[in-house]
Amino acid sequence: MTVSHQAGGAAGHPCAGQHRLRVASLSKSFGPARVLRDVELSIAPGELHGLVGQNGCGKSTLVKILTGVYPPDPGGSVTVDGRALTLPVRPLDARAAGLSIVHQDLGLVDDRSIWENVRLGRYQAGRLSRRINVREEKRQAAEALARLDLMLDVDTRVGELAAEDRAAVAIARAIQDHESGGGLIIFDESTRALTRRGRGRFFTLVKSVIDGGASVLLISHQLEEVVEVTDRVTVLRDGQVVEGGIPASQTSEAALTRLMLGRHVVTHDRVDSQARDTEVARVTGLTVRSVSGFDLSLRKGEIVGLTGLVGSGAVAVAEAIGGARQARGGLLTVAGRNIDLSRKRGCTQEFIAAGVAFVAERRLEQGLAAELTVTDNLTLPRLRTRGHQLRTGGRWQAAETAAMISKLDIRPPDPHALVGHLSGGNQQKVLLGKWLAGRPDLLVLHEPTQAVDVGARHDIITAIRQAAADGCGVIVSSVDAADLAVLCDRVLVFRDGRVAAELAGDLTADDIIHATFEAPGPQEPHHHDRDRKEVVQ
Amino acid sequence: MTDTVQSSPAAPAAPARRRRPAALQNIGSRYAIIGVWVALIVLYSFTDHGDFLHVTSFQAIFNSQQPLVFMAAALLCTIIVGEFVDLSVPYVFGFAATILPVLVVNHGWPFWPAAIVAVVAAVGVGVVQAFLVVKVGVNTIVVTLGMGTLLEGISLWMSDLNSVSGLPSGLSKLALLDVGGMPISFYYGVLLIAGFAYLLWFTPLGRHMRFVGASREVSRLSGVRVDRIRFGSFVFAGLLSGLGAVITATGIGGYNASSSDTYLLPVFASVFLGTAIVEIGRFNPVGTFIGIYFLETGIFGLQLLGLEAWVSQVFYGGVLVVAVTISTLLHRRTS
Repeated sequence: MTVSHQAGGAAGHPCAGQHRLRVASLSKSFGPARVLRDVELSIAPGELHGLVGQNGCGKSTLVKILTGVYPPDPGGSVTVDGRALTLPVRPLDARAAGLSIVHQDLGLVDDRSIWENVRLGRYQAGRLSRRINVREEKRQAAEALARLDLMLDVDTRVGELAAEDRAAVAIARAIQDHESGGGLIIFDESTRALTRRGRGRFFTLVKSVIDGGASVLLISHQLEEVVEVTDRVTVLRDGQVVEGGIPASQTSEAALTRLMLGRHVVTHDRVDSQARDTEVARVTGLTVRSVSGFDLSLRKGEIVGLTGLVGSGAVAVAEAIGGARQARGGLLTVAGRNIDLSRKRGCTQEFIAAGVAFVAERRLEQGLAAELTVTDNLTLPRLRTRGHQLRTGGRWQAAETAAMISKLDIRPPDPHALVGHLSGGNQQKVLLGKWLAGRPDLLVLHEPTQAVDVGARHDIITAIRQAAADGCGVIVSSVDAADLAVLCDRVLVFRDGRVAAELAGDLTADDIIHATFEAPGPQEPHHHDRDRKEVVQ
Repeated sequence: MTDTVQSSPAAPAAPARRRRPAALQNIGSRYAIIGVWVALIVLYSFTDHGDFLHVTSFQAIFNSQQPLVFMAAALLCTIIVGEFVDLSVPYVFGFAATILPVLVVNHGWPFWPAAIVAVVAAVGVGVVQAFLVVKVGVNTIVVTLGMGTLLEGISLWMSDLNSVSGLPSGLSKLALLDVGGMPISFYYGVLLIAGFAYLLWFTPLGRHMRFVGASREVSRLSGVRVDRIRFGSFVFAGLLSGLGAVITATGIGGYNASSSDTYLLPVFASVFLGTAIVEIGRFNPVGTFIGIYFLETGIFGLQLLGLEAWVSQVFYGGVLVVAVTISTLLHRRTS
């Protein structure tokens, strides 16, 4: 299915003067890190354009520049319908030009009504009384909904709506300022929260938006969906456009995957498994979120990957095993010690004492305190066990920090540097070092290489392998198939709370991605010969 | 198989910079207030014909601030673990400082049992506030504002809206014993601040408090008992207010419950001014201690110059705004 009515056909490249949106030479740096490099993007009127790439490839940064959250580096340009926007983009300019965005979480306030949500930021007040003209606001909200052929009571609380209707309200809000036949909506992972049926309804709405003459930029991790519904696709990798505007009819999920991951030069070879025969950890009967009765036996030195789409249960399982999330039931046995995973506890002390280390995904919210130093952060979990109650003791802290700085090549190699001053990759190394220094028996990592540069990724992968070689059992929860493919001895692919596939042996990123995205069906989940042939070489 | 990653070379490492030891970094900004303090003293000594430089001036400045030191330390307990902001501190202090003379003078209790009841009452208030904030999850400002007002009312009721005095004068030595020209209560404050600084800088508990203040989730996932530390900080704040109150009431022989209000702004001004001293951008006891005496020096000098009592409000209020602005700017520059 292709939903757009793009001028010139789906495969046609828009020529100059026909661009709804044209982004040229757009770059963005955060300190020394260049996260976007000379990005080019063009979207034609009435086109549904897909933007794909791995986590941390720069998609969100691009959107944030287009909506005025970040200023770009000097030199680039953003043009809407032939008119250049002043950079940095001013949010009101973007709105006036017809640029609107529907965020991942839809940006709705649940306990307010539909009309209040749709009109938020646009309320018109009486000249003297400064009162909101409720009747007019409701009329305008209803009009925006009517453009989508939606018959919802504008007084309904958004929290009471089904997921599809919530998405519809967000779309109505986005299109209300569009002039007839104009406008561009950016959907930033907006379909994440929708069920398969809800997605069908969602794209019907998108089609009606496009029928009205608007263009759409669809950012999604659901490659199947991107190939199915878009006209053209742009692939970002490490802040650069690797392929711009590939006609969706001439590509496939596998080809996009290959482009997203990259193909060349710096390689991580798979290494032989370090797994030994001794069991180091066992999970029995884990019931958390949509997962029930999950069992896992992990051997010393074994690296097991958990993956799946959002809501599949893979993340919840990793968080429960790491102690970050309370499960409804389940038992974790690590090196002979039992931990009841359903017990409510204020902190992860019991897990740490048992030899479990959990490297959280959001490093500055769950892993590290940015305003404290590398040493402070690195040694935190062991202050009580290694220090004296009346004195933390400086020597072991200095030795431990120096060892981790050297082992993980943390730069600058300054134990007193504030963590907030380090680059993302080095922060991630500090976070990993914080847990590796405790020599855990079970290391649980959640997205260990998310948004780090290639050098840091190399160091992190090497350190994880080293931990496994030292006898640690490792669980890696990630959506990054390339990471899982090089690291893991086996990968469990979750779908709807169940392990839909267990991949082992000579893993490839393609296998993992196909098993992740494949619709449930009678066929074996990891036969992908047909798709492999389609890969663009 | 071979995994493939991007072909661009890794970003070159930032050139290693020579660093000064941590203690010597940003020395100018960390101790700027002390420079201003010295300048203030020099300025006053020139403008008031030398009266200011007399030893009694310094005694007056250093003798009078013990209540503020205890209250500021109590506020630091909760503010360091990220509880913004405990407005009840001066009223918990006033509550305990009223209980003591009311029990001894009005009800004929012996001193020590009354002193213990006063301290236990303050600790009890800390427990109730901790329960409401940490266990129930009520907003800190609401709980402490309500509790402070409630305690002020109870204190005024207990004292019949009057100043209660008449504590045995022999006991005033507990607070006023002359040690090297200063009352011993000054040294209590010094000891308290030194102990608090040691706790924060050198002990696991202090480091955990800092982390809880910086991020509860990071702390929880690192095995720190976050709620226990938050709960304990409210209780300990109550204890410090109670002890400070007993020392103060003993020193002056009684207490006037209506005076608690006057401490609110100085306590906040000193604690926030402290963030511009020693550890920039961080609440810290040594900075707070210096801040307290800096503020008192400023006010004392202005009063010596003949300005009226209103000057203290102007000075405390003005310094609070200016100091927090400077601290914020310095912190932004260093981070």
